[in-house]
Order: sequence, then C-alpha cells, then structure tokens
Amino acid sequence: MAKYILKRVIAAILTLLALITIVFFLVRLMPGEPFTNPKLPPIVLENLRKYYGFDKPLWQQYLQYMGNLLKGDFGYSFHYTNKTVNYIISQTFPFSADLGIRALCLAISFGLVLGILAARKRGTKIDFFCVIVAIIGTSMPDFIIGACLQYFFGIKWGLFPVAKYQGFKYTILPACALSFYTLAHVSRIMRASMLEVTTQDYIKTARSKGLSELRITTKHQIRNAIMPVMTILGPTVAAVLTGTFVIESIFAIPGMGKYYVESVSNDDYSLILGMTVFYGIFLVLCNLIVDIMYGIADPRVRIGKK
Amino acid sequence: MKNKLLALVLIAAMALSLAACSTPTGSVDNDESSAPESTAEETSQEEASEGGEASEEAAPASNDTFPTEGKIFRYAIGTEPTTLDPNKGNSIGDNEIQHAITENLTRNTGGKVTAGMAESWDISEDGTVYTFHLRESYWSDGVKVTANDFEYSWKRLADPATGSPYQFIVGILKNGNAIIAGEAAVEDLGVKALDEMTLEVTLENPTSYFLSMLGSQSNFSPLRQDIVEQWGEDFAATAEKNVYSGPFKLITSENNEYQFIPNEYFWDKDNINWDGVQISYVEKEDTRLALYEQGELDYVAIPTAYVEQYKDQPNVNYFTNGNVDYCYINTESENPVWGNQNFRLAMNYALNREEYNQLANNGVYSPYNALCFPGLQGKDGKTYGETYDVDSYAYPMEGDQAKAQEYLAKAMEELGIANASDIEIEFVTTDAEANKKIAEVLQEQWQNALGIKVNIRQVTYSEIYGEVYPNLDYEIGYAGWGPDYDDPYTYLELFRSDVNWYTPYGNAEVDALLDASKTETDLNARMDMLNEAEQLLIADGAWVPLQARTAYYILDEDVTDITFYFCSVNIDWAYGDQK
Amino acid sequence: MIAQEKFVIKGKNTEKMESISRPSLSFWQDAWRRLRKNRAAFIGLCILTLYVILAIFAPILSKYSYTAMDAHAMNARPSLAHWLGTDSTGRDQWVRVWMGARVSLSIGLLAAVINMCVGAVIGGLCGFYGGKLDMIVMRIVDILYGIPSLIITILVMMVLGKGIGPLVVAMCVVGWIGTCRFVRGEVYRLKEQEFVMAAKVLGVSDFVIIIRHIIPNIVGMLVTNLCMAIPGAIFQEAFLSYIGLGIAPPNCSWGVLAKEGIAYLRIHPHEIFWPAFFICTTMLALNLLGDGLRDALDPKLRGTE
Repeated sequence: MAKYILKRVIAAILTLLALITIVFFLVRLMPGEPFTNPKLPPIVLENLRKYYGFDKPLWQQYLQYMGNLLKGDFGYSFHYTNKTVNYIISQTFPFSADLGIRALCLAISFGLVLGILAARKRGTKIDFFCVIVAIIGTSMPDFIIGACLQYFFGIKWGLFPVAKYQGFKYTILPACALSFYTLAHVSRIMRASMLEVTTQDYIKTARSKGLSELRITTKHQIRNAIMPVMTILGPTVAAVLTGTFVIESIFAIPGMGKYYVESVSNDDYSLILGMTVFYGIFLVLCNLIVDIMYGIADPRVRIGKK
Repeated sequence: MKNKLLALVLIAAMALSLAACSTPTGSVDNDESSAPESTAEETSQEEASEGGEASEEAAPASNDTFPTEGKIFRYAIGTEPTTLDPNKGNSIGDNEIQHAITENLTRNTGGKVTAGMAESWDISEDGTVYTFHLRESYWSDGVKVTANDFEYSWKRLADPATGSPYQFIVGILKNGNAIIAGEAAVEDLGVKALDEMTLEVTLENPTSYFLSMLGSQSNFSPLRQDIVEQWGEDFAATAEKNVYSGPFKLITSENNEYQFIPNEYFWDKDNINWDGVQISYVEKEDTRLALYEQGELDYVAIPTAYVEQYKDQPNVNYFTNGNVDYCYINTESENPVWGNQNFRLAMNYALNREEYNQLANNGVYSPYNALCFPGLQGKDGKTYGETYDVDSYAYPMEGDQAKAQEYLAKAMEELGIANASDIEIEFVTTDAEANKKIAEVLQEQWQNALGIKVNIRQVTYSEIYGEVYPNLDYEIGYAGWGPDYDDPYTYLELFRSDVNWYTPYGNAEVDALLDASKTETDLNARMDMLNEAEQLLIADGAWVPLQARTAYYILDEDVTDITFYFCSVNIDWAYGDQK
Repeated sequence: MIAQEKFVIKGKNTEKMESISRPSLSFWQDAWRRLRKNRAAFIGLCILTLYVILAIFAPILSKYSYTAMDAHAMNARPSLAHWLGTDSTGRDQWVRVWMGARVSLSIGLLAAVINMCVGAVIGGLCGFYGGKLDMIVMRIVDILYGIPSLIITILVMMVLGKGIGPLVVAMCVVGWIGTCRFVRGEVYRLKEQEFVMAAKVLGVSDFVIIIRHIIPNIVGMLVTNLCMAIPGAIFQEAFLSYIGLGIAPPNCSWGVLAKEGIAYLRIHPHEIFWPAFFICTTMLALNLLGDGLRDALDPKLRGTE
C-alpha cells in the first residue's frame, strides 16, 4: 500500500512538472501582451519588458521561474502589479473553497438521494420528478440559474442578500446555483447505475436470502452503484473548489474563478501559471483520493491488482 | 415503510452534512464583518502551508476600524483597481482611489482647480518654470510632507527601473521623454526641491493644462522614500504598506472591499465630512444595481439596458464622461480602400449615428460626430462645444446617404473597383458583449448603406491592445479614448504622424498645427489652431467617431457635493457630504 | 412417480419443428422495437426531429433575416409580426432562435460524438489492457486536465479562427477525457466479471471479447453519457459566448442568445425565456430519448417487455 501511494505521488509530481512546463510555453504562444494600456508608447513598453525580464531568452526565464517555484514563490502578477500571485491565491482560495464545499455537500447528498429514489421508484411520479429536476439542472447554463435565483430570491422576494459573501445567509443562493449542475449530474448517473446494479446476481442472491429491501439497498446496491459517481467526482471537486467564474461574478464573491478567466484574457503569465500549478496540485490530489476510495468502495478492484 | 425509513436515513445524513458545512460561518451573520470567520482561519492556514507568502510580520498593528455609524458613503466599482501604488496607477479606477488618499500640489475637483499641497505658486514669464510653495501638512503617520517627497515620487515615476505603465506622463516635464528613451539620467528630470517647502518644476514646453492635470493625475502625487524602500516590491500591496497624504487613508483593500477613513493629519481635515467610505468591487453591473436596491450602496451607475426603465425616477441623473468611442482606421492597411480618403468619408457619411446609438447603446450614450470632447475648456472660460459650432463641420448625425454614395463612387473609380460588393473589409473589436453589439450594428448599417461586405473579427482584450493595435494588424477597429487632461490636445495627439498608438495616420498640416500650438502663448490663438486641426482630420476622414459615453446613475438624495468629471477621475467624493 | 404408460407418443410434427414462434431480431432491430414501445422516448425523438426540421427550414421561410435590425421594434414583445418578439436591436427572435439551433445543435452533436468515440476507444484500451499504456495515458489525461481549457480554446481559435469548426476542435482537445476516464473504469470493472473470464478461458480473442461482451455492456451507459454530453457541449459553447470566445458575430447560438437575453432579465424577460425554453426542451427530449435508448440497448433487458 505504502509503495503504491509512493509510486502515485512520484507520478503526480512528474505530471505536475510536465504540466507547468507545457503551460509555461503555451501561455507565451498566446496572442497579446500582459501590458495592454492603449496609451503605452513603444519605448515605455520596452522598458516594462526589460523590467519584467522578458528580454532574456525564454529558457532562462523558464529556469528562473522553476527555481522560484521550488521556493514556493509564484512571483508578482503582471496585471495587479504590486500583488504576488501567492497573495492573490491565499486571499481568494478560501472563498472559493468555502463556497465549493457547501455546493458539493448539497450536490452530492441531494444528488445521491434523488438518484436512489428515482431508481427505487422507477416509472412512478417520484421518478418523473427526479428526472425533471435533473433535466432542469443540466439544461440551464449556470449564468441563467445564477441570475434567476438572484432576481427572484434576492431582488423580487427579498429572501436572501443579492450578492457578496459575508455570512451564512449570503452563501445560500450561490451555493445552490453552483450545486445545481453537479447535483443533476450525480443524480442521473446514480439512477442509471442503480438500475444497472439491480439486475446483478448478488442482488438476487441477497433478496433470496431474505434480506430487507433497506439492507439490500444500503449494503449492496449503493455500494456498487456509487462507483461511476466517484469517477466523475475527482475533476468535479477540483473544478468546483478552485472557483467558478460565472457564479462568483454574479454574486460578487471574491474568489479565484475570476482570476482564472481574467488572467488568461489579460495574458497575466505569472498569474495563469500560479493558478494552473495550484489547480494542478489540487486535481492530482483529488484524483489520487478518488483512486484510493475506488479501492475501498469496490471490493473487487483491489489496489494490489493494479 | 422500509422505503420511508431509507428516505429518512438519507435525509438525516443530508441534514448532517449541511449542518456540518454551515457551522463555520453560522455564527457570523452580521453584515459589518468583511469576511466569514472560517475564511480568515483558512487564510492563515493557507499562508502557513504555502510557504512563500508575502511577509506580514513587519506590518504595523493598525487600530483603525471602519465606523458603523455616522456619515458613510458606499458604492461599487466594476473594474478591480490594478495597483495601489500611485506611480503605477493605470486606469481611471486606480486613479479615483488615489484621488482620495493622496494630495497633489493642486486639487482638481470636477474641473475646478484649487490649491492642494501647494499653498501658492509662481509661474515664469515663458510659462515653463513653476515654483510651488508647500503648506504645512502631514502624512497619515504624522510625518511632515516636504518638497523632497514630490521630487522623489516624480523621479521614481520617470525611472525605467520602477516599471510604471504610466511612465510616459512625465514627458510633459523637462527631459522627461529623454529619460524614458534612456538618453538622459533620472536626475535630470525637471523637478527640484529648492528647500523643504519649495518645489521647482521645469516643463519641456509651456503647458496651459499643467495645473489642472496635476490635480487629477495621481501618478504625480508625493511618496515617502523611507516607506517605499521599507516595503520594496511589496510597497502598497495592502493598505498597511503605505502612508497617505490625502484627505483619507485606506484601512483595508482585501476581499474586494476598499475602506477609507479620514486622515486626521490632513491639512484640510475640517472640511472633510465623511466618517467612512467603502468601495466594493462588484464586477457585474446588474449585481451592483441589485445591491443598490437592497440598500447596500448609496450610489450606483445604471446599466444601459436599464436606463430606459429608471430614467424618470427621482435621484436619477447623468453625466457625460470624456470617454469617446471611435473606429480607428489603419490607413496603411494592405486593403487599399483604407488609404483612400473618399472611401473613409463614405464610411463616415453612410453611418446614421442617431439610429446606431439607439440600436447599439439603447439610446443611452450621445451619438458623436467629431473628435474633441465638447466639455473641454475652450476659449475665455467657455467650453469647447460652446466655442465652436462643431456640427457645422462635423459629419451629419443622421448620415447623408447621397453624399456617401457619391464618395463611394469616387473611391471606386480611384481604386478601380467595379462593384461595391467586391469591397470586403474587416472590423476588429474585443470580445466584450457591448462591443459585439456595436460591431453588429455597424456591420448591418455599412452593409446596407454601401453594399460592401463587412466581416467582424473578435479578439481578446490583451490581444487587441497588446498586438492588434500596436502592430497595426487590422483594417478598422473599435476602441475608446479617455482624456488624460482637460485639453483638446489629448485627443488630437492620437493623429500625429509620429504617434502610432492606434492608427498610423499622418497629416503634415495637422502635425504643423499641433507643433505650433505647443509654443503658442496666446491661449485663444492656440485653441483656434487645435480646432483647425480637428476640422482637417474630419475633412480627411481620419477615423469614424461613434459616441460619447453618457453615464446614468442613482445617488441617494441626502448625499451632496459628489462631483463628476470627464477625465481621470469620474466620480470624486472626497469633499462630499451627507445631509 | 408417474407411471410409464401415461406417456403417449404423439409423433413428430415436422412442419412446425423448424418454425420460429417469434421473428428473429438482430440486436438493433430489437432495440428499435423496444424504443418505439417506450412512449417517453418516442416523444423525445419527435421533439428533436421537429427542432431539426425547424432549424433547417424556419430561417429560410421567414420574411426576416436573422441580422436585420429595426430601430422601431426594439425589445418588442411576442406578437403576430414577431412570433417570439425581438431582441434589443429589433432582430426577430423566431429566426434567431432557429439560426441559433443550427449552431448549437451541430456543435453539441459534433463535439459530443467525437468526444465519445475518442474517449471510448482510448478509455476502453486503457481499461482492457491496463499496464504501461494505461499509466501513460492517465498521466497525459492528468496533464490535459490541468491546462486551463481557456488557454487551449484561445490558442485553437488563434490558429483556426472563429467559428463552429474551431470551437468543436477546442472542445475536443480535452473533452474526450471525461468519457475516457468513465469508460476505463467501466471496462476495468467488466473485465473482471465472470462472463469475460469465461470467454477468456475459452480462448476467445481480445477483439471478439471487446465486440461481443464489453461493448454491449457499456453501450447503455455510453448513450446516457452522450445525451448528457450534448447539453454539456451546448453549455460550454454558451460559457465561451458568455466570456466572449464563442462563434463570430453576427452568427448566433442558443448560448449567445441566452447571454444577450440575460442582460434584460428584469425588463424584457421574453428575451431570455425563449432561448432558455428551447435549450431546456431539447435537453428534456435528449434525456427522455437517452433513457429509452439505454433501456433499449441494455443486453440484460433484452427480450423483456
């Protein structure tokens, strides 16, 4: 087990290294410049490029960046000129993570319940209701859901604050808006996979053993049916926790999502790289955890066999 | 029954998970706290684990807290300020914040220039040497403001080692442009502290708008050398890492909230009325409006889509800021039509600017047919728009289809093109929604009026300003222009042949007029020269003017003395009050 | 014990011996039969067909062009002249919705199908053979996942320009990963199952095992996934439009329409309602159809009613 994890960790580090290298050179291929003031005379632009070390050969810049990275230093943002990337991440990630965890709790718990109920009550009104929820959830772009929630619950009925992130009441609307898609997705996959499992022999065996329906569902069905859900969770968790541009901008939440999108359109090289590395670490971690959980949830996929 | 039990168990599990994740912030439900408690904890953990965080240890413990009652002004901005370092300020948003926390030699409040840190000043005969006499005022940490602070700041601004994107603004000072080009040492900049309270400034040319520009461009505000050197690269990264010379000091700039309280050491502190000002960064304009309606803000700009609905409500007003939107033309484009004066005029006359403004901007902005913003200072205290009859020489607002066809026919003859449909042009714009709509409307109008083919190319913001315009990799493109100072020159400068900011356009007559205006000491004669240059540019179809930005806003009725200005500082609340 | 004499030999019925009581159905015939019997799925199919027909013909038959603006009919409510009203520049929504449908449906279908095919093949191979191949592909997947998709989209569009093609390419560069991971997991699970083991022991070639045993068992899940992936692709296009990287104006898609409409949510709700309605009903139809297909294609439910 320890050997397995060590192997995965080394692989993860190599993956990250490759990722950083690729992104480092990809961002330089992107059209445009980090310095975009239309009034910038060429001579001042030249001065700025020198100031930020862009006049050096690219490989030198790369080595320098990697050296700083080893020290945990992501460097200064080019757009927010006196903020370090570390500072921006440390300021914004807690908000994104806070919102993301809430949304995930909502999405996974409600998603699983809806999926299980729909599968158990297949063909009934409950099933139909669950399907409708799932469809609305997956068929509405988040900017429509966000704006509608904000308009109806915030402005029209005045039940919740319309924006900002300053306490529990403020978190409800954005967390709901953010959870909707994942919730629907989880419930659909759970339903399909529950139905898949229902026809398996071990369920029939369990039933013929005289186990109660509750026991069959909890002990056998859910445990086996949950695996496809876990497969999608790794990337989803990473994506949701590191911020979502649309929801954060609608609800004015000072999270990471904005910087992730904005840094790309601003060609803010150091911020893009910092965000990518941070997200990459997160993603690799999530996938690692999912892989290990996979082994725990499915008695047949033993880690040793890999 | 069993199913119900199952449902119950699951719901209980769900409730538990919800409760578990609501605990951290459940206790903090009052709106004055700027962040959830959990977040604060996570932040410190985050810092610990990240390792290379910006050092916090030396930050002085600040007792400044934001007042919960008294006269408080709150509003929201839509672009995040890029920096809190006054020398590096880069946008109107940056400048608006600096305007409140720094005190320059003069103070420009809505175009009215008053004495600021300088009590008085003498101007030499030829208008190039200004001697400022400073008044007694102190930084927010109690240290006296001296002439050296100005000298240090201006030299820092000019120094390439500072990396200021607004470095070019020192071009107005003696040797400024030479320093930018690396041909002169920073020490040679035309600014010198004669003694602690006297500052001597030497300009490259006599410049009538110099005092007005000082009052609104915060790049020129004083800086404390010891503070800047103490923090190094981290200077002004957060509110504590700076000291403030202006009427207010910044106490926090975190989590998209900027909070200001009065600076008790400011010389004019008795005339400052606010007990606290809070600016929130809220990206989406609909959200800002919603926040206003929930009573969270005292001032809000109305999104153009909603103006129609709000226009007639009380407390709604508007101002026209100096941002004018144009289509720039690459006269040296590979597509030969752009080098042709008649074709450019055809494009200008074909445009029905009234209808365009209705369609593209919901009729909110003002359609615009000339170059220089009419609110600028003209002759003898009148505005530029009052001084000259712009409509007599500018393009007709509703277009003139007959003239457009005439010009097009001439252009086609000169270019040897048989059918208008053979002409294909490319219009470049950024990917912002409003710009897309503008591009679509223009495309529709030009295609219908002239029978030519217009293609739209959308690129990212950094691509258009970082590559497309600087490399002149376009045919006709959409962009705005905001003035740096209250003078027609700031607009006309765009079309000098030695300035290639957007367009390579050059016209020897215009250049000659602009050069002559620089040394002309009779202000009225100078203004006439500038106006003549504008008329020449219009007659040559050098660009396509579109609209001047009119901003509708709602301001709480008990708030007074907020001024709106068309250049550098759009909203100025420093001397505002609440009844 | 039954007495021997109670059995009577009735003789051979040579006529009926070889006859088949039920028509022999191939896998796909059986699936189609079951699909038709599923009313919900059939409704879904009808809605989709209707939308495709309207997307093809509605813009041709309408008297309005999807780019024609009208300063006198801005933000008009639905009426006889403009069936679904007009947008903020007075363009007819009915025509724009169906022009948008052309773009959105083709992007959705193209991206989803390409992603599914690529993802299923790669994921299947990884899951089936495992080992080094699996290791390498999974590392590539991790790296691709980590690269901000915006960078990829911008780079692809820089090389190929704006339009449906580049958008689909950009979406496919990383889009196949989801299916790949999913299929890999499924195949991993399936190949441990008894019937695959049995086939292996009997010496059946890998190819036949994949075709006969693995694919029929994952095809149901794949189809469900596909029906989810089409909305996913339509969304992604909508998101890219939202941040301004969608298709080139004046073309429109449902995503573009939704984005244009959302700005007027509070004063002209019809401008957001119609795109949202059509996105929603398309998804509904796709989901109903997907469910039906999943059931129809499931080998374990074969022959059941």
